Amino acid sequence: MASTGIEDVRTWILSRHPERDSLSPDENLIESRLVDSLSFVELVYAIEGASGVEIDFDTIDIQDFQTLSAIEKAFFATV
Amino acid sequence: MVSTLIDQNDRFLGILDRLSSKSVEDYYNPYKLFEWPDSLPEDMWWMSPELTTTHGTAAAERLTEKQLHALSRHESLNFYSLNVHGIRELLIDVTRRIHTKGFETPSEFFHHFIGEENEHMWFFAEFCLRYGKIYRQPGGISAEAPRPDVESLLVFTRILIFEELVDHFNSKMALDERLDDTIRAINRIHHQDESRHIAFGRELVSVLFAEVRRTSTEQELDDIAAYVKRYMTYSFETLYNPQVYRDAGIEKPQELRRELLESPARAEFERSVFRKTAKYLEKTGIIR
Repeated sequence: MASTGIEDVRTWILSRHPERDSLSPDENLIESRLVDSLSFVELVYAIEGASGVEIDFDTIDIQDFQTLSAIEKAFFATV
Repeated sequence: MVSTLIDQNDRFLGILDRLSSKSVEDYYNPYKLFEWPDSLPEDMWWMSPELTTTHGTAAAERLTEKQLHALSRHESLNFYSLNVHGIRELLIDVTRRIHTKGFETPSEFFHHFIGEENEHMWFFAEFCLRYGKIYRQPGGISAEAPRPDVESLLVFTRILIFEELVDHFNSKMALDERLDDTIRAINRIHHQDESRHIAFGRELVSVLFAEVRRTSTEQELDDIAAYVKRYMTYSFETLYNPQVYRDAGIEKPQELRRELLESPARAEFERSVFRKTAKYLEKTGIIR
C-alpha cells in the first residue's frame, strides 16, 4: 500500500515535468526546481491525497519534502 | 532604481500625490468602524454563490441548499484567511523596501499602504476568529528572482495580482443583498481602500517592467511571463482548499478539489476573476 502511495507522488511530479522520464528517490526536488514556491502547496495536497494523511500546515518541516525518500519516510512510513 | 524611474515620470508623481492625499482624507478607525454581532446566521449565503468554487458544476447539483450554505461559510472564511496570509507576505516585502535606497519617492505612499494593509489584515482576521477560524497556508519555499530589478518587478506584480483577485470578490460581495450586513461592510471598506492600492500598483508595475524589458533578453522576458501566468493560476487555485471541503462535511475533499479544478466552470471562473488583470498584463507586455 505504502509503496503505491509514494509512486503516486512520483507520478504526480513527473506529470508536471514532461521533459523528465525518471526521478530517483534521493534527487533533491527543490534544488532541481522540480518543486518551487508555486507548486509546493500542490505537492502537499498530492501527498495528502496519496497517503490519506492530513498534513498540519503549522508544523511543516521543509526537510520532509526535499526528496522522495524523505517524503516516503515522513508520510508513508508503515510503522 | 525605482525612485529614479518614478522621478522621471510626472504623471506617476501626480498620481502618487493624489493617492497619498486621498489616503489622508479617507482615513478611518477600523477598530471602531465595524459592528460585530455575536454570531451570524449560519443557514444563508456567506459568499455570493456565483463566487463559490462549486458554482455551475456537477458537484453543486449533488449538494443540498443547506450544504451549499455551509460550504459558502467555510469558503468565505478561507477567502478572508487568504487575505490575512497574502497581506502578511506583501507587508514583509513592502516593509523591506520602505526608506531604503532606491525607494525614496514611493516611501510616503508606502506608509499609507502599510498602515491600511495592517488594518485590513486586522478586520479580516477578526472576522475569521469571531465566526470560525483562520485557515492555514503552508509556508515553504521562497520565490527566486535572477536580479534585484526583476525581484522588485515580481514582488509588485504578485501584490497587484493578489489585490485584483481579492477586489473582484470584494466589489461583488459589497453589493450582494443576499449577504449579511457585516460581510457586505468588510467587503465594501476593503474595496474602497484597494482601489487606491491597485491604481498605485498598476503604475508602479508598468514603470518597473519598462525598465526590466529594456535590460532583459527575450528568454528572460519569456521566463517572467511564464512565472506571472503560473502565479495567477496558483493564486486562483488557493480558493480551492481541501480543508474547506472537509470542514463542510465533504467525505473526499481531495477528490472534490480535483473534480472542481478540472470542471469546465473553473476555466470560465478563472477568466472572469482575472479578466481586467490579464488585459492589463498583456497590454504592458508582461504576459505574452
